[in-house]
Formats: sequence, structure tokens, C-alpha cells
Amino acid sequence: MSLIKSTFKNLESINSKALVTYTVAGDPNLDFSERIISEIISSGADIIEIGVPFSDPMSEGPVIQMAHERSLINKTSLPDILSLSKKLKQKFKSTPIVLMGYFNTFINSLDSTRSIHDINDDICNELKKNGVDGLIIVDLPYEESEAIFKKLSNYEIDLIRLISPTTNDYRINEIISNSSGFLYYVSLKGITGAEIDSYDELKKRVKEIKESSSIPVVIGFGIKDRETASKMSSFADGVVVGSAIVDMISNSEKQENKLVLNKISKFVGDIKSSIQ
Amino acid sequence: MKDKDKYNFPDADGRYGDFGGKYVSETLMSALEQLETTYESLKDTEQFKNEITDDLNNFVGRPSPLYFAKRWTEKLSGAKIYLKREDLNHTGAHKINNTVGQVLLAKHMGKKRIIAETGAGQHGVATAAVAARHGLECIIFMGEEDIERQSPNVYRMKLLGAEVCSVTSGTKTLKDAMNEAMRDWVSNVDDTHYIIGSVAGPHPYPKIVRDFNSIVGIELKEQSRELFGRFPDKIIACVGGGSNAMGIFYPFLKDNSVDLIGVEAGGSGIDTGKHAAPLSDGSIGVLHGMKTYLMQDNSGQILSTQSVSAGLDYPGVGPEHSYLKDSGRVEYDSATDEEALDSFHELTKTEGIMPALETAHALAHAKKIAPNMEKDEIIVVNLSGRGDKDMANVAKVEGLTL
Repeated sequence: MSLIKSTFKNLESINSKALVTYTVAGDPNLDFSERIISEIISSGADIIEIGVPFSDPMSEGPVIQMAHERSLINKTSLPDILSLSKKLKQKFKSTPIVLMGYFNTFINSLDSTRSIHDINDDICNELKKNGVDGLIIVDLPYEESEAIFKKLSNYEIDLIRLISPTTNDYRINEIISNSSGFLYYVSLKGITGAEIDSYDELKKRVKEIKESSSIPVVIGFGIKDRETASKMSSFADGVVVGSAIVDMISNSEKQENKLVLNKISKFVGDIKSSIQ
Repeated sequence: MKDKDKYNFPDADGRYGDFGGKYVSETLMSALEQLETTYESLKDTEQFKNEITDDLNNFVGRPSPLYFAKRWTEKLSGAKIYLKREDLNHTGAHKINNTVGQVLLAKHMGKKRIIAETGAGQHGVATAAVAARHGLECIIFMGEEDIERQSPNVYRMKLLGAEVCSVTSGTKTLKDAMNEAMRDWVSNVDDTHYIIGSVAGPHPYPKIVRDFNSIVGIELKEQSRELFGRFPDKIIACVGGGSNAMGIFYPFLKDNSVDLIGVEAGGSGIDTGKHAAPLSDGSIGVLHGMKTYLMQDNSGQILSTQSVSAGLDYPGVGPEHSYLKDSGRVEYDSATDEEALDSFHELTKTEGIMPALETAHALAHAKKIAPNMEKDEIIVVNLSGRGDKDMANVAKVEGLTL
């Protein structure tokens, strides 16, 4: 059983929901990322998404775009992020680590020959060896990645897929049968950090997905505070918080690191307590 | 090429060999499906074909002439050079061939709002013009740097009623404008159609844009038969994303006697790394929804490009060009900024035709090869756009202010 799967099983057994957090690796530098994520885990996060920076983050809103840009000033690369993942996994053995990014960085930064253009066994080995439990590849729909899904599952690495408000029933079924770990339901038509407009519609959709699948459904995009998190988690298996945390990090240059860490820690603890 | 009759790309998955595909976020998949279904169901109907032909004839001003560059030919003293005059189209470039088609698709899909990215501003102007004509809201995304170097086109778009949105993220050029347009599309997917301006992006865009631009090659076939009684020996076109090249090449892909040559932006020179020539000096990756040749570093990050022409300043290229490069059917080369500027002046002074700086790259290649060809051989250069928009930029390069 994958670590992500067992994490959801454990949460279910204590009648609790998953708090998934997203931060960008290397924002503003890798050492600080390690401290932030350690703090986030200690404050109650259940699953850690580590954003892999990309020069062209097409699905991100302004807050996360800037985080990608800050990280790339230091040329943060996928090998750097794998080292970060390894360190975190050594400290927090039971916390799943998911890398979230864009396809090009996964196929073009671990293969020095530049000839594969795919996620092959070598890359899967690298991911596994460094404690990566899952991947979210924003621009990789199931049509382009059935083989990759099978390959990753041989290594017990989950391929987590997004379902959006525009996904029709046919696609939902295809996505369900081509993903593992959890399903990431995008709460809105838009980019990360935007505003959610209809809770009723959202609730209905998530309920429908949960009826046709045993894979946990987590809601992300647009969750910024206790109230939203609490409301969402009442009908889903967990929530993702990203832009809100990244926004706090973006202010870290102006503030003492210690203050930023405290603020993030308090925020994470607060959200976690709201979704119990 | 023995398998010439087999050329039938893209396949059902939107692929040209290994290139192309649909690498986009889930939110856009349904919009791409809708676009594909709409296009496939309309494209062969008489009504749709008539609508397009009517617009091309009466709004765009087609067919575009095939002009003999007599003095330039004499000067180069080699093959005869003809110019396919896309610069004479309404709005001044080949870009309008695509936008008149896509706006009709948008109307059939019931979309009220049009968005587009633009580099040199030609696609932005061509989009703003068709949006104005059909009474649709229009927003054009343009990199901050391009807004500066293409200011006349920015004002033209505004006069045509479009809102020009300055993009300040990343490198502030065409690729970032495309990112921003994608973000807008994800956010407004229900009522918005994104008119991509090149044979780039996720399937079905490369196919749709190619098909709409193929009118250029189709006309050239007819004109060649009439004027020469045969096809040209070589056809040359500049390649950024590659829509003018695909448009003139596509109808000739199965005619192996015709050499097809795409010319990328060599910037300061391929050796310097400061260029925009992914086919000449790039590697395979995924960007903007397609698998294709890209300019990228060892970490899979897209590199900033450099070219004197905003329209070629793009780190990727349409996936069909990547396929045609690997298959060997089309030859790809590059011309530097300096060579392009030189040809810009030469054509203007010799023929009284001021080409766009993008087009000047194709002209520079013609200048290189024509003297080594026989006098009865024929080169056709796709004169993809006119150069009025570039005057301020050319003046700046030469240390002048207008």
C-alpha cells in the first residue's frame, strides 16, 4: 500500500480529514524551504506538496507565479528538490511527499542524454530513492500518460490527477481509472488562488465523484482561511492550501524568518483544527 | 519520399509522429474537445467554406499576388525570385487568414469573447479586426517588451476596439503573453475562445491554424501552374511558431520536386546562444500544450530568446515543423539579425516593398542561395508581412529616433 493510501486510511480511522499544503521548493531558498516544510509538518499537515518551479507556470495565479520566479533566481532544479525530499523523508518518515509541477521539468532535468522525453525507470528510481510518494503534473492529462501511470505504479508512486468543474462524466471515469493516491478536485474554473463562486455546485460534484470512486477526493484552489477549509472538508476527504502559505513566504524578505515561520505554523495549525 | 501518400498528420491523438499532443490542464480539455468537434463538423460543409471564401476575397483581399522581384533577381544574378504577397492582405500579414476562420468557429460555438496572444502585434491586429467586424469583445495579451518595440500595432489594436493587456511576467515577450492568455482562458473558458495565432499550442490548434493558412500554398500552386507551367524549385518562409511557413508548405508536402526551406531567427548567431532557433539549436520538450523542439536549459527551464523581430522571438515551434525537420522533408536554417536587417533594406530599396523583419529572415536566406542557382530556377519567398510596423525599431537599431 502506498504511503498516501495508508495516510488516508489512518485519517479515516480517527474520523479526520487530510490537510495538504503546497509550497514552492527553493522559495526563497532551499534551506528555508526545509525549515518551512518541517514547521508545516510539525504543525499538523498530513501530506506535503512540493512545487517544482517552472519558467512558464501556466496554471498559477500571480502569488505562486512569483514564488516560481523567486525560486528560479537561485536556479533550483529537480535534483536539488529530490535532495530536499530525501532530507524531509528522513525526518518525517510517515508524511507523504508529492511533487507538483509541469511535465517538461520532469522529463528534461533528470535525463542528461536529452533523449527520453518521458518518465522512465531511471527517473522512477530517482523519485523513489529520494522519498517521493506521488506526482501531480498539471499539464499532463490522462490521454498523454497512461503508460506513465502504469510505470509509476510499479514503484508505488501515485499519479494524482486533477478534476475540474469543466470535466465531463466520461472524462471523470477515465481519470478515476488512471489515477491513484487521491483525486485533486479543482474548486474553480481558473488559476491558483482565485475566488470560489458556488459551494452548492462544488458539493454536488464532489459527492458525485465520491460515489463513483473509492479514491479520496481532496479540494484545492481558492482555500484561504479557516471558514473555507472547514466548509470544504465537510464534504471532501481533505483540502489543499497553497497560495495563502506562499503569500506569507513572499513577505519573508521583509520580515524576520522566525516571524514568518511562526505565522505559517499558526496558520497551518489553525486550518488543521478547523477540518477535524 | 516513398511514403508521401501516407502523410496524414495529425493522427487521431493530435500527433505529428511523436510531436504535438494536448499537454494542458484538465480545465481546458473540454474546450479543446469542443473546438475540435466544431471544426471537424463544419470544415467540409459548403456553407462554412463559402463563408470563409467570401471573407478571404472581400475582407482580406485574396488572392494575394505572386510578384516577380525583377531588379532583385538581376542583382543577385541567379535563380528567379518571386514573392507571395501576403503583406498585401488586409491588416498587412498572413495572420488574418487564420483569424477570419477562427472567429467563425467562435461564433458557431456561441463564444462572446475573444482572446489572443501577440508578439509583433500582427496577430493581435488581425484578431482585433475580425472581432470588431463580428462585434465580439476582444482582449490581446502582449509582452511589455513587445509593446514597446511594436507601438504602432498596439495603437491599431486599440483603435479596433481591443483591450491590450501588458504582460509583465517572465521574459515579457511572446511566450509569456501566451501563458497569460492560457490563464485567462482557464478562468473564462465558458464564454471565451482563444485564437492562437500560430501552428503551435495543444491539438487541434496546430492543425486548424495550418488549414486556414493553407490558402497561401493552394493559391501558389495555381499561380505557379499559370505563370511557370510548373511548381517552383524552392519555397522559403520564416519560422517563429511557423504559421506562414506551414501555410505555404503544406499543399506542397507531397510534391517532392519542391524544396521547402524554413528560416529561423538566428539572433546574434547560433554559436552565441542568443537566438530564437529551436529547430537549429534546441531539444525536445513540452511547452504550451505541445511536445516540440524548444530552447531550454539543463533543468528543463525555457530559455529567453533573442531576435530583432518580435514575431520570431519564441522559444518553441509548431510541432509539425519538428516532425518535418526530423523526417527531412523540410530543410531548416537560420538568418541572423544583421542578415535580416540587410535584406530588409535591400528589398525596400530594390523593389519598393518594405518587408516585416520576420519576413526579412526568409529573404536573407534567398539572398544566400539564389546566386548559386541556375537562372531558369525559381524561388518563391513567402512575403508574410509588411514592415511599416518595424520602422521605429529599425531606426532604433541604427541609432535614429523617429
